[in-house]
Amino acid sequence: MTIKGLAKKIFLIEILKGMALTLKMMFTHAVTRQYPEEKREPFPGFRGLHALVRKEDGTARCVGCGLCAAICPSQCIHVYTSEGVSHEKIVDRYEIEVSRCVYCAFCVEACPFRAVVLTDHFEYAAYTRDDLYMGKEKLLSNWDRFMAGKKGNEYFEKFWHPLSSDFSASGNQAIFKKINSEG
Amino acid sequence: MITVTINGKKITLEKQVTVLEAARSAGIKIPTLCHHETLEAFGGCRLCLVEIEKIPKLQTSCTIYITDGMVVHSETERVVNARKAMLEFLLINHPLDCPYCDKAGECDLQDLAAKYGPTTGRFAEGKRTHPESYDDPVIVRNMERCISCTRCVRMCDKVQGASAISMVNRTSKTFVEPFSGKRYDCEYCGNCLSVCPVGAIMSRMYKHKYRPWYIDKNINTICSYCGVGCSVTAQVKGDSLVRVVPEMGKGLNKGLLCVRGRFGYDYVNSSARLKTPLIRRNGELQQVTWSEAFKYAADRLRDIKERYGSEAIAGIAGGRCANEDIYIFQKFIRGVLGSNNIDSIANFSYAPAQRFFERIFGQGVTANSIQGISNSDGIFVVGGDPTSINPILGLQIRAAYQQGIPVITVGDTPGLKRFATCMLKPNPFTETALLVSLLSELKVKKQFLGGNSSFERLINNISALSMKEVEDICGLPTDNIASAVNMLSNMTNPSIVIGKDILQRTDGHINLLLLSAIMYLINGRVYLLSEFPNEQGLVDMGCLPDMLPGGRPIEIESFKKRYEEIVGLNISSTHGLSLSGIIENAYTGKIKAIQIIGENVLSNIPDSNYVGKAFSNLELLIVQDSLMTETAGLAHVVLPSLSWLERKGSYTNLERRMQFMGKAVEGDGLEDWRIISEISKMLSFDMGYKGLEDILSEIARVSPLHKDITYNDISGDECIWPYKGEPLRHGVSLEGMDVPDIGSLLKKPAKDRVYAVFDKELFHPDSLSRKSAAISSISPEPCSRVNRALADRLSVSEGDYLNISTDAGSIEMAVKIDEDIPENVVMIPNNFEGKGIFNIMQWKLNPVLKCPVLDGNEVKLKKAEARS
Ligand code: SF4
Ligand code: SF4
Ligand code: SF4
Ligand code: SF4
Ligand code: SF4
Ligand code: FES
Repeated sequence: MTIKGLAKKIFLIEILKGMALTLKMMFTHAVTRQYPEEKREPFPGFRGLHALVRKEDGTARCVGCGLCAAICPSQCIHVYTSEGVSHEKIVDRYEIEVSRCVYCAFCVEACPFRAVVLTDHFEYAAYTRDDLYMGKEKLLSNWDRFMAGKKGNEYFEKFWHPLSSDFSASGNQAIFKKINSEG
Repeated sequence: MITVTINGKKITLEKQVTVLEAARSAGIKIPTLCHHETLEAFGGCRLCLVEIEKIPKLQTSCTIYITDGMVVHSETERVVNARKAMLEFLLINHPLDCPYCDKAGECDLQDLAAKYGPTTGRFAEGKRTHPESYDDPVIVRNMERCISCTRCVRMCDKVQGASAISMVNRTSKTFVEPFSGKRYDCEYCGNCLSVCPVGAIMSRMYKHKYRPWYIDKNINTICSYCGVGCSVTAQVKGDSLVRVVPEMGKGLNKGLLCVRGRFGYDYVNSSARLKTPLIRRNGELQQVTWSEAFKYAADRLRDIKERYGSEAIAGIAGGRCANEDIYIFQKFIRGVLGSNNIDSIANFSYAPAQRFFERIFGQGVTANSIQGISNSDGIFVVGGDPTSINPILGLQIRAAYQQGIPVITVGDTPGLKRFATCMLKPNPFTETALLVSLLSELKVKKQFLGGNSSFERLINNISALSMKEVEDICGLPTDNIASAVNMLSNMTNPSIVIGKDILQRTDGHINLLLLSAIMYLINGRVYLLSEFPNEQGLVDMGCLPDMLPGGRPIEIESFKKRYEEIVGLNISSTHGLSLSGIIENAYTGKIKAIQIIGENVLSNIPDSNYVGKAFSNLELLIVQDSLMTETAGLAHVVLPSLSWLERKGSYTNLERRMQFMGKAVEGDGLEDWRIISEISKMLSFDMGYKGLEDILSEIARVSPLHKDITYNDISGDECIWPYKGEPLRHGVSLEGMDVPDIGSLLKKPAKDRVYAVFDKELFHPDSLSRKSAAISSISPEPCSRVNRALADRLSVSEGDYLNISTDAGSIEMAVKIDEDIPENVVMIPNNFEGKGIFNIMQWKLNPVLKCPVLDGNEVKLKKAEARS
């Protein structure tokens, strides 16, 4: 050990340096936020709680194709469909086990109809896992609460891929026929 | 030897095959749409294009054959661009509603478009429209999605042989439609929908409920409808069944199914399923707990055994129970209850016929591979229509015919009408005379092989009938018979397919003798049509009054002793009562208690009134079944058993192939063997089985036929006769087989009378399929068939109702006109409650075969009053 090192040890130089820093910081502004009193606006595209898009007529836009469930890496989306009276496809149940989601937003990207989103709402801690097992109604109400109006549309314009313009088709081409993807 | 190079890989093959087959044999993938392994090449979609050196144009690999030294490239830029172009053309008119389409995820077009396809199309003409057709109850057609590959049409024409659909229109307006218009009028095998590469023809059973990635489990099992034993896969999501489908190329059916296997599986979820045990109290069936039910059943059985002796108890086993169940059942009835009165419906035709042949030719003579039918050089069908009783076996006959193999049919075989080289349609109930004349002609043309001299002597003693006499009795032209004889005598390894109609005759035993003789002379392989998936199992597991497991006669002392030692029970050595004996003795009051597992006896054996009366005389009727049946409705104790798909087990099919059925879903109830062993425990004999393995290992020790067998063997590819076991070897015994008195055959049926004939129909062969909503939607009510002349005489036309009566009762049934049946018969099925031939049919026993005689049932017909 050098003489210098020995002196450092004896006079607790490191400790003094640290204390000096502490003293200096006592006179500067704090960088931490006082959550929950003080809340921060999430950045656009933040991936928070899931929602199912509600069309203007009040129904869900989801057609039950199951692509979100197929792509979901944690396999936490469950879609149950059946045949309706006029042979249409009915989404009987649409469930997300939110507590298992890894917030990759693959579901949002996979959906050909812009029917599922990750909202920017993140404050949904709960006491039980069951509260985080969300059914269709709950997910639709999430849309109403966090995405309704212009916000939802803006979100899709910016973050939904592939963009609807990728689906250019001639006049009566039956892409996703019978399905109203607007609304 | 032919050597080709595909993508730089040298492949040497013995046979000249197509480039596609050569590539696939070497694991090189070439995309296809119109090609299918079970169908002949078509060359229409041009997805399989490859580049072959020295041939300037791209070639379709599914149609071009390899030649020595050929050099093939399957994924060059040129090929890939061509495929892309083909797909662009296909997509011009394709709706691309994949998110909505039930095929998505298992669609060949979708997969190929994802791999090769253009992302945008350049065609701005717009797409054709074609409304989705829901006119059919089980099949939905969406012809916007059709890519005109013709796979469905080729399947229907060439493999199924139904020729029910066709491509209509031309160019981009081409689509597929049944000849019958919107609704199908076909055999409903659904094989067309399983080969459709896109979502153009689909089953409605899982419409909008299915995505391949929702499936958690694929369970291999065996169809529960008939004795063929087709392989199917049950697909499960969570704890519920999504669908049951075949897997192309798999099992003895190679992925083909008939209507029952494809659509009939929904009986598992029928509302008639039993959920809790029931006990009759104050005349009504009331729900009880399992332990109450076990105790009640055991107490009543003990009581009856003490008061009337073991002989007053009997058991009837069903042909849809697993081998494990019926083995335990016969052990229980024989050992624990001490009665050999155990029988099953197998003893009504299948078992006696098999025993008859085995007495002459040895055990296992009927164990022939179904696939072998199309490899034989001639087929002789008698006693039933294979295409409705065992449809997949029937397909083999159709395939053989299409390959030019002669097919001779005797009697009413509507399904082979277009597939028979020679159809012999003798007057009703005169087949015996026809068989005699065939035999006498064959004796002249064929030499004896000299292997079985006592049998040869017997054959020689059968006197002849001239063709002229036969023409007179059977109403068959001489040259018709002569051409059949000619064909038969030219065959060297023919298949002889025998249905039960030929046995259930006054002369049933003579018919069998004559058939054995013909079979011996022409060196035929025999196939017995079997209506239940485990009819053979009933025989092999000892559910017969005189046979122990392994097909060992009860009088073989050494075997009986060994059996007693292994199971630790004593068995009586007297023959028990047969099914008919059980019913008769119940009627007269000698039998006091009957236990039935998995059989709707009241509906499935003739003269329901008599059977009903016999059952109501009983002090105790225990019925184990998964469905509420007419029989269960009469029971004192009803014990819900688990149904097919809800339990594991094994079946033995008509080729004596043992196959494993898996468990896909949970159900209400218990396995039959578990129910029986619980009752046994209460009767102070603890069978002590923990699971199926214990039962099978006991079977493997008890039955020499199933020596050393394990579930590994059964669930493996081929568990075929004689397994690893020891078939019973015994000398030919012709005892009791007397030379028939030909003179007695010279009688002719009266022309002015009308006889009822049991019609085994495709959709509802017995009482199970009516519990399937899908099959009931295809065929909602029973239908009798009469000839037009008869219909005119009765002034009924198609759709009218006919009142059919005998001394035993009367029924009313819709009528269908069928030109192909004789004028003096009415064909009546037996499948709907209270409306079947067995409701009005009386019968006696054939003295030799001990199976019921169903011929000569005269009926009175009249037009029924108009119905609403
Ligand atoms: S964000 Fe990812 S993990 Fe979460 S539900 Fe969607 S696909 Fe699944
Ligand atoms: S991908 Fe979209 S339309 Fe399809 S099931 Fe999911 S949310 Fe519904
Ligand atoms: S048939 Fe295939 S490509 Fe066509 S819509 Fe259905 S899944 Fe998509
Ligand atoms: S319906 Fe299916 S199988 Fe038939 S031609 Fe069209 S695409 Fe091919
Ligand atoms: S042939 Fe028999 S086993 Fe095969 S699917 Fe049809 S009913 Fe089932
Ligand atoms: S698969 Fe060869 S042309 Fe269709």
